[in-house]
Amino acid sequence: MKSSNQFILKSGIVIFILFSSLLSQAQLPKLVFAPQWLPQAQFAGYYVAQEKGFYKEAGIDVEIIHPSANKQVTSLLASGKADVISLFLVTGMTLKNQGMDIVNVGQISQHSAILFVTKKSRGLSQLSQLNGKKIGIWKSGFDEVPKAMIAEKGYKVEWIPILSTVNLFMKDGIDAMTVMLYNEYDQIINCGLNENELNTFQAAKYGFDVPEDGLYCLKSTYANKKPELKKFLQATLKGWTYAANNKDYTIDVVLKRMQQAHVPANKVHQEWMLNKVLELIRPGNKGVKMGDLKETDFLKAVDILYSRNKVKPKYTFTDFYQPLSK
Amino acid sequence: MVTFSIYYYFTRSTIQETTKENAVLIANNTVNRIELVLSTEERIPEIVAKMLESSFLDRDSLIPFLKSILKNNKNICGSSISYEPYYFPDKGMFYAPYVYRQGNLIRSTMLGNENYEYAFMDWYQIPKMTKTTYWSEPYFDEGGGNMLMTTYSVPFYTYKKGQRTFSGVVTIDISLEWLTKIMSTVKIFKTGYAFLISQNGTIITHPNKNYVMNQSIFTIAKENNQPGMREIGRQMVKGKSNFASADFKSKWHPGKLWINYKGLPSSHWSIGVIYPEKEMFASLRQINIILICLIIVGLFLLSLFTVKIIQKLTSPLKHFAESARLIAAGDFNVQLPEIKTQDEMKELYNSFSYMQKELAEYIVSLKDTTAAKEKIESELRIASEIQMAMIPHIFPPFPDLPQVDVFAVLKSAKEVGGDLYDFFVIDGNKFCFAIGDVSGKGVPASLFMAVTRTLVRSISDKETSPSVIVSTLNKSLSSNNESSMFVTFFLGVLDLTTGELRYSNAGHNPPVVIRENGAVVMFDKTKYIPVGLFEDFEYGELSLQLEHGDKIFLYTDGVNEAENIENKLFGDDNLMKVIGENVNASPRDLIHNMEVRLAEHVKGHTQSDDITMMTIVYNG
Repeated sequence: MKSSNQFILKSGIVIFILFSSLLSQAQLPKLVFAPQWLPQAQFAGYYVAQEKGFYKEAGIDVEIIHPSANKQVTSLLASGKADVISLFLVTGMTLKNQGMDIVNVGQISQHSAILFVTKKSRGLSQLSQLNGKKIGIWKSGFDEVPKAMIAEKGYKVEWIPILSTVNLFMKDGIDAMTVMLYNEYDQIINCGLNENELNTFQAAKYGFDVPEDGLYCLKSTYANKKPELKKFLQATLKGWTYAANNKDYTIDVVLKRMQQAHVPANKVHQEWMLNKVLELIRPGNKGVKMGDLKETDFLKAVDILYSRNKVKPKYTFTDFYQPLSK
Repeated sequence: MVTFSIYYYFTRSTIQETTKENAVLIANNTVNRIELVLSTEERIPEIVAKMLESSFLDRDSLIPFLKSILKNNKNICGSSISYEPYYFPDKGMFYAPYVYRQGNLIRSTMLGNENYEYAFMDWYQIPKMTKTTYWSEPYFDEGGGNMLMTTYSVPFYTYKKGQRTFSGVVTIDISLEWLTKIMSTVKIFKTGYAFLISQNGTIITHPNKNYVMNQSIFTIAKENNQPGMREIGRQMVKGKSNFASADFKSKWHPGKLWINYKGLPSSHWSIGVIYPEKEMFASLRQINIILICLIIVGLFLLSLFTVKIIQKLTSPLKHFAESARLIAAGDFNVQLPEIKTQDEMKELYNSFSYMQKELAEYIVSLKDTTAAKEKIESELRIASEIQMAMIPHIFPPFPDLPQVDVFAVLKSAKEVGGDLYDFFVIDGNKFCFAIGDVSGKGVPASLFMAVTRTLVRSISDKETSPSVIVSTLNKSLSSNNESSMFVTFFLGVLDLTTGELRYSNAGHNPPVVIRENGAVVMFDKTKYIPVGLFEDFEYGELSLQLEHGDKIFLYTDGVNEAENIENKLFGDDNLMKVIGENVNASPRDLIHNMEVRLAEHVKGHTQSDDITMMTIVYNG
């Protein structure tokens, strides 16, 4: 009968459409991205891009994984568990110098957010007064710029490695601490210290305004997955733009991710972090587009590393930076 | 109202005080219960540290020792002795024996590997750098069922090369489940609650489970835009204690809040207890409402009662008032309201009834008196008419005798008086006239006057000589004169043909002669006494020649002795003056003008004496 034939035809079409969409989905090229730490608003752009489907729209299927105390982000990249990761500029350059064959495919952060903080009650209001004192610095890295800052002045300090909390600083176990303006600085405020009870020494104000978070992958990955990486960068930047215009939504997304990962989370701290990170992403009057690495920034970083390690980089700017916009 | 306000104020502050005391007690109690556990457990690692310092323990006995600690202290979940990296060179970087509970068992392990570099963890690093004990920020124990835990670390020192050197940390791990339980049992009114924060202000316990470990009191304050809350948080992490009005609002507790906070001495955490003010004073409010209702009802009943009593007391007063009105209207037999009590109302009743009786009697006697008075007055009026009838009062009196013209007037001071005047014709051509003033006033004088006038008329029936007439008059009046009355008397007989006036003046005011040419002369004062005093007194007579047109003016002392309000007499001078101004006036006009001048002088003052005036004109 005609109606039953029609029925079989219709259901066949439906099944085919479903199957093909599944197939096409399975056929979307996959990319695994890992930010350099646990979920937080510092990586909001990626979460938003994934949540809003910008990656899918662009034609890639992105999985976001996070490092932990046991699994450092660089080992994720080295082992191939992650295709692209985010790192500080100076960290990426150091790794490349040490022989890891990585390239920078996008510079997300355009400014430095690192600073020393001391309690006013300890009476250290000048950078010079930090000479001979104990300064906390993260054990896991990001120490090139602060150490260069101190070395440039010829001061001698005792660097106390800090794992992850501000508690040693709060308990006056150290005189000063290295913090990120968008993270640990606000954590200190959220422990009850008022801003007018703190002295700050920002790297940017002492001539060390070196950009930080950037996207890195193995050179081989770059060679094999350039189109996907380009889509990833573009969708990521779209995600960051969307986040800038929809902050409340973005924070909700971030909080959800944090709760899923059992990371202690509150709105206030993530709001602060998001606002500061969004400021850092804007190139301002640097003359570069969002997401591009400026050569002068690279050269500044070279100087800093040289002053620290007395080692010249074994690569050039063009070796290091592979812009995806080309 | 005042009472209520005072009561309200004191009750409110009492409640506040009591709540404050209660709050402090609760806080103290809770703190003590927590401290009991924490401070007891503190001792253990502290003792172990001392033992390590004095080399009481050797390396191999550490784990058994730690196990026995756990066995004897139910609250401790784990314990370690973590040495400084490379303390035992043969053991490498990490040497940290650790024992922990797993169900009913106590297990042991060694801490420290490349993924767990304990030397940089808070529980190791902080006591090392601060050189003192440290209660860690609470954390979730991922290994053992995600319990909320805290670790107490005690640094220990040993002697290396004679120097007392930091050598590691002794730790105990304590679950905070019992703590959460204690805090959740703190119940404040209906919706009050207690919460616990760490040294950094992180929420350790709170009725809102989402807050625990995610928020600090400072992030909550910022999220809700409550700077007051941040300030209180700062006080709390400093270990302060206070019971204060909370300078912040809560989304879940509308209205004003009070907070009591107290620090835990051992771990430097802090307890906060929230009191919703509405509930604090809820019972007060209830009592207030009840009290106000009672007061209103009470006041209402009281006023009702008072009005009733007053009405009962004063209703006799109303009756009294009515009785008074009736009595005033003339009914003296009106029934007074009955008073059964022996109080002021009874006195009022007694006075009223006495007054009623007296009034009745008085009215009766007044009626009698008035009736009598009216009788006398009507008799007096009749007497007055009779007296006036005795005096000639038709003017001109003799139309057939043009030789003489007379006008006279008599105004007695009372209804009847003692003045008199009279004139009549004797033998056809003799004009006899007389004027007199009886001593005294009123009825006695008028009676005497009547007698005098009658006597004069009857005597002059037979006699024509003034002196004879006056003497005879005197004789008659003097006898049977027990009352010693007398009359000043002037009698004149004018011969109408010759014009000769013969007269006798018995003590009377001297008349005035007005000559035709205008000369005014007063007669000489008489030497004869008034009639009626001495029976045997002989009266003489004088004579005066009148020409045509001459006038004689006679008067009694009521004229020249008329007083004004200042008791000033009219006087002879005035008398003469007035006469002098009216020399050409007719007798009527002269007398009339004199009356006018008298009235002017007297100016309305009451007439004290009879006034009599007579003017005679001889036209023969």
